[in-house]
Amino acid sequence: MKQRNSRLVICIALGLLCGVSAVAAPPVELVVWHAYRGGEAAALEKVVAAYNAARAGAGIKVTTLPVPYDAFADKITAAVPRGRGPDMFIFAQDRLGGWVEAGKTIEPIDFFVDQATKDRFIATTVEAMTYHGTIYALPLNYKVLTMVYNKKLVTKPPKTTGELVQLAKSLTDASTGRFGVAYWYTNFYYHAILMNAFGGGVFDAAGKPIINSPENVKSVELVMKWAEKDKFLPAEPSTVLVTSLFNDGKAAIVFNGPWFLGEIAQGVDYGLAPLPTVDEAGGKPMSPWMTVEGVFIAAGSKNKDAAYDFVKYLTDTPATKIMALEGRQTPANKAVYLDPQVAADPILKEFRQQVEVAVPMPNLAEMSMMWTPMTSAMAAAVQKSATPKAALDKAQAEVVEAVKLLRKQR
Amino acid sequence: MSPGPSRRRRFAAGMVAALILGAALSQWMLARARAQENRFRASRVAVVTVSALAEVAERAGGTGDGLRRAVAAFAGGDSSLVAARVMVLDGVSLEASTAPEDRGEKAAPRRLTQDEKPIYDQAQRLRAAVETNHQEGAARKPEIEVASSASGGLSLAAPLEKDGSVVGLVALETTPLPAAPHPDWLFSGLAVVVAAAVFWLMALATGERRTMLALVACLVLVAVMVVLGRQAFTAVSGDRRATESAVASAVTAEEGRAAKALQEVAPGGGLKPLQPASWDADLFRRPLGVIGADGKVDQAKFEQGLAAGASSTARVIGAIAVVALALLLFVGLGAASRLGATISKHHQAYTYTFPAIFGMLLLVFLPFLYGVVLAFTDSSIYTTQAPLSQVWVGLKNFVDILGDFHIAKSTAAGLVWNYQNLYWTLGVTIVWTVTNVAYGVGMGLFLALILNTKGLVFRPIYRVIFVMPWAMPNYITALIWKGMFHQQFGVINQIIQMFGGTPVAWFERPATSLFACIATNAWLSVPFMMVICLGALQSISADLYEAARVDGATRWQQFRSITLPSLKPALVPAVILSVIWTFNMFNIIYIVSGGDPEHSTEIMITQAYKFAFEQYRYGYAAAYSMVIFAILLAYGVWQNKVTKATEGI
Repeated sequence: MKQRNSRLVICIALGLLCGVSAVAAPPVELVVWHAYRGGEAAALEKVVAAYNAARAGAGIKVTTLPVPYDAFADKITAAVPRGRGPDMFIFAQDRLGGWVEAGKTIEPIDFFVDQATKDRFIATTVEAMTYHGTIYALPLNYKVLTMVYNKKLVTKPPKTTGELVQLAKSLTDASTGRFGVAYWYTNFYYHAILMNAFGGGVFDAAGKPIINSPENVKSVELVMKWAEKDKFLPAEPSTVLVTSLFNDGKAAIVFNGPWFLGEIAQGVDYGLAPLPTVDEAGGKPMSPWMTVEGVFIAAGSKNKDAAYDFVKYLTDTPATKIMALEGRQTPANKAVYLDPQVAADPILKEFRQQVEVAVPMPNLAEMSMMWTPMTSAMAAAVQKSATPKAALDKAQAEVVEAVKLLRKQR
Repeated sequence: MSPGPSRRRRFAAGMVAALILGAALSQWMLARARAQENRFRASRVAVVTVSALAEVAERAGGTGDGLRRAVAAFAGGDSSLVAARVMVLDGVSLEASTAPEDRGEKAAPRRLTQDEKPIYDQAQRLRAAVETNHQEGAARKPEIEVASSASGGLSLAAPLEKDGSVVGLVALETTPLPAAPHPDWLFSGLAVVVAAAVFWLMALATGERRTMLALVACLVLVAVMVVLGRQAFTAVSGDRRATESAVASAVTAEEGRAAKALQEVAPGGGLKPLQPASWDADLFRRPLGVIGADGKVDQAKFEQGLAAGASSTARVIGAIAVVALALLLFVGLGAASRLGATISKHHQAYTYTFPAIFGMLLLVFLPFLYGVVLAFTDSSIYTTQAPLSQVWVGLKNFVDILGDFHIAKSTAAGLVWNYQNLYWTLGVTIVWTVTNVAYGVGMGLFLALILNTKGLVFRPIYRVIFVMPWAMPNYITALIWKGMFHQQFGVINQIIQMFGGTPVAWFERPATSLFACIATNAWLSVPFMMVICLGALQSISADLYEAARVDGATRWQQFRSITLPSLKPALVPAVILSVIWTFNMFNIIYIVSGGDPEHSTEIMITQAYKFAFEQYRYGYAAAYSMVIFAILLAYGVWQNKVTKATEGI
């Protein structure tokens, strides 16, 4: 009993100590949540340390908290509206619309952002952070699909789909399981490179679904021609399949994003090139969907002015240079690509080129309703259980219905 | 102990408790309703004012000295306004302000200061709201914002429009609200005392008969509640009348003020005429229509509103009466004293179980109750901030779910199933559950019988192998199986091809897709059943078999008459559990088929997940989960009845 009491006393004393040290902390402490690991996290830490050193006089201190990616968005959704959670967080634009609609989650920063700040980013990345005409975050980096090719098999990367088809057909050999091109074409995110080339999309400017638009139908027909007639694509593609084919030297060209580069086996000599233009779409380039990570300010933050100062710092040229070179990010900041070290990096240079034709992925809350019907539609079309038009018509009807049920009039 | 006097006294105690509860609750609800009406009145009057101001500002061009003069004239004549502001988004500029703090250096026009960000954000929000409502052709986002101001008044903001698009906002702040009327405690106190006395007198006359006592008590209580209800209704309808006349006079007054303010802009007239009929509106700027174009109250509409108010008052008072009656009977019929006796007798047991009870309440029952409540709303991502009463839809979700019989449609190409329909999903779930459990039990028993063979070599090794699936996280297992079913590279199709077959596209048709899921889960469910069977088998006494052999029973007879009956007590609860687990086995379906193709292999729990987190229809998904719960509950009760298996556990 006595021993237990003494333990209790120690516990209380420790608790008091913690309390006291919290009181003695600097006047403004900002917490930023991120889902980075490895090099990306280290780069962010480095930027934060530099910021803290620069602002030590003002008594501002930023601390980072890594949160597992799987739980990230749900944690934000649950914690911030209830007054908990960070001052800032780093996340992609796909949940933006949902957070704005739910309210009390992210702070609009239009008021802070001046034209000079806006101009330092690639314009489309700012667009990704804008919802109904209001900016909610400053873009930090972007991810887009591009063309990755095996240098042993492809000496001159194709510039048009005509060249691509010709080259791919010559490299395909079904009996040995070799394919000219491999990408996850049944996945709608990957298919969007063709859809956007034809000028299609999923929502129009007013947020109405336009899934069965003629442009979208044409894009599905094209990929079906590749799979059915030209036969240079593997059946039932997936990320795992694409990766293993490429690593085994059985796929000459893949369309994939920056995350893929880390999975390429050692010894595979690969190169990057912009996605080819689409002859069938009048020579328009394949346009990947762009996912943009932005730095958001939580609606519950007590120090929004100070938070914005950090957001601005983190997305400025010196910080993004560190994030690019050490964190291997592709920054949304334009000026950083003029830096000689960044300009000398072939990968960063190529993605900068690719992003010019990229389209920001819609940030509407309704986007999440689109994936399953679109996946089904792509599957139905590719498996020929429905014509592309019929498959997309069905998806359109489903999405329209789901949107209608959600946006009920009050 | 003679039951007589204690019974009457018990009813009297229950009566007093119920009366106090009923009177206090109804007074409290009435006070709340009146305070709400008080605020509602102020806010409707203020909406009229802000709409008038918005129209004045729009007519004045939204900027310039004319606007400032008009706003000053408008606000100057109104003693209920603390401040009126006009802010324009372009240039982040405060165009006009009559606020006391915006004088001298801070006088309009000027750029907003750093700490005035909320005004700018509000203007952006209103602009987005107007645009969204316009695009969707619906009233989803409020176009006038009402909030409490720091001084206890209201602060309102409405969009400032120019040529049909929103360019800024007009905002105003009112003086503190008038105090809400106090609850009439004297009246209700008197009602309680009188009713208690009446009951006691009647109880003395009734004697000790329990039914009579209960009847009398209920009658008295209901009578009191009716009296309290009438009092509440009179007060509420008086308040409503006051509101409508206040709004009517506000419309007239603001019209005069607005006309005078416009004189400041264009002394000779020539501006578009004002539209005061549209000023009395809801927060979506839809005219309410209770105040007609002539500025008078439209009696028919008013009576309609009053009737709706009466029925809602009756509902609230009725609900309170039910609660009070329950309390009366709880105490009067003796349940309360019995509960008290148990608690004091077993107080130690209750103390020990308290942490567990508390934890269960907090972590299990509270979320569950929230789910039940949610099931009666159409809460969605758009309405997470709205109070539940605003999104209440009653049984609509259940009607939508259970009453949708469009299971299939016959077309030229044959039957087309509606895979989103409950009954399809339920069918799939049942097939899924029955197949899995049947296979699990059959295979588990079979393997257990083999492993139970005496003198089996390497038994520990077999056991480890067979229990492996159980030891692995089923997430991993599911991913592995999904890979094995891959059309081109999966091992299963490789084997089919080895024997000359054509590869199967497993996830393209509902039947094969479901088969793939079942195969995965079957593999996972065998070890549990095997372990249960093995344990039960080993507890069967060898003497029984020996005796049977002596009597000349065959192996089959031994199995039928000894093994199976002895397994039953262990197996039945295991089957019940396994059915419930499999019914709600989220991981396997979600990972292996993901519902492909087209949601056809979705089981109920994954379907509920998709409603909640893909379509963001939280209320509908909650109702769907309630249906799942009801099915499992019914199954559990039925199973228990049939087998009586859990008796004595």
